[in-house]
Amino acid sequence: MNCAEADAVLPGYCDGELAGVDREQLERHLASCGACASRSRLQARFKAAVRAHLPRPPVPQALRVRLGAVLGAREIAPRRWLWATHPRLVPAAVAALLLIAITGTVRHSQSMVLQQAQRSYQAELPMDIVGSDCRSIASWFRGRVDFPVPPPDGSCQGGRLVNVRERPAAYIMTRGHDGHRVAYLVFDPRDESIEAPDRRFVNGREIYFGSGPGISTAAYHDRGLGYVVTSDLDEDSLTRLVTANFAMSSHQGP
Amino acid sequence: MALFKKRPAPSDFEREALPHLPALYAAALRMTRHEKDAEDLVQDALVRAYRFFDTFEAGTNCKAWLFRILTNVFCNRYREREREHEIMNEAEASPANVEQFLAGVGADAADAESALLGHMVSADVEKALASLPSDFRMAVILADLEDFSYKEIAEIMDCPAGTVMSRLYRGRKMLQQLLYQYAVDQGIIKPGSHADVAPPAGRASADANAPVDIAAYRRRHRGSEGGGS
Repeated sequence: MNCAEADAVLPGYCDGELAGVDREQLERHLASCGACASRSRLQARFKAAVRAHLPRPPVPQALRVRLGAVLGAREIAPRRWLWATHPRLVPAAVAALLLIAITGTVRHSQSMVLQQAQRSYQAELPMDIVGSDCRSIASWFRGRVDFPVPPPDGSCQGGRLVNVRERPAAYIMTRGHDGHRVAYLVFDPRDESIEAPDRRFVNGREIYFGSGPGISTAAYHDRGLGYVVTSDLDEDSLTRLVTANFAMSSHQGP
Repeated sequence: MALFKKRPAPSDFEREALPHLPALYAAALRMTRHEKDAEDLVQDALVRAYRFFDTFEAGTNCKAWLFRILTNVFCNRYREREREHEIMNEAEASPANVEQFLAGVGADAADAESALLGHMVSADVEKALASLPSDFRMAVILADLEDFSYKEIAEIMDCPAGTVMSRLYRGRKMLQQLLYQYAVDQGIIKPGSHADVAPPAGRASADANAPVDIAAYRRRHRGSEGGGS
């Protein structure tokens, strides 16, 4: 074996993949060639050093909790909540009542939760629970998140357990009649800012608007919960949708 | 009458799969380079693994099976091709000729080793690994951090063993180049101080052909001996 041949099989040797006659030939060469022996030693040391410098990071506790909730209780049949069975209002009627009062635009950087919602939307994350009935989807989260999840309006695609600031949160994907995907991230808003570049007051409520490539996002608080609604709708349509949700929630007693 | 295979109990899955969670999360974090993405990736991989757990053969390598799923989910969702090409070209066009530096013989080689390895810090190694294109990064993670064999990596990454060796070879070489460059930037190594060290005879041709897998080496070796089995 010459140096060129030794060089070619050195990585395999260092990885313990070289056996039999190949290994014997290489070892014979290394015994007689200082340069190759030095390269062999360097490769082995480099591999060990890389490994020693890349310890495993700790698994976040929030991920463990989430996995436990998603994997452990998968077989449990969804239950329904009484309060979720109220009839829905006609969105068109609500849209007619729409009154937008823009009191000025305040520039804020987009908060983490908006970015998270946009990333989840764009990645088209698979759902933990799949189904078109929003009430079943919402009730699936019972026991998995620390608050009751109101079912969104429209036809659902599924739900996914996520974390917002280490707390379990609900991510629900819906699809409108016009094919637009609308995602709802519902979370416990304690310690979580929903600031975004655009702040507006719609029907007396504070809504933050943000955007990503081809998508827009609206974030607000409603009845003690935080919401980030992400969609490929234009901003006006998203505003109408969000306002319709407000009108609905004020008619839905707990 | 069992028409359908009994669905494995959650406890089976927990026992087989969850011990590999730290390895999966570490690999996911280094692949996605983002904590939230890593959590999502691990969640998706494990949910998928759970759904298809009845296809896992008890007694076979569960870690490799899980890593294969993780890699699949990653490739389908997180790979950013364009950006990686830029990084790869940058790494390959690096003026730091670490090969030449490391090819120094005798005392120089010892210097090179201690310069490169003696001053290595975790943050630099993480940064260097994070800049590798995902195929190379994955090969290095699987081989150097998780101790998978070439055959297992080939199955996980769904490619021939020769491709694994090539990715591993190039991935490690880029890592060395990047770490060498960091050492130069930090003033630990003086650039060019070993530039006059010529590679030993035969090395240049080896490098041109490298990486060469064992089968190719054998073929070539047999060829030079005039055949034989």
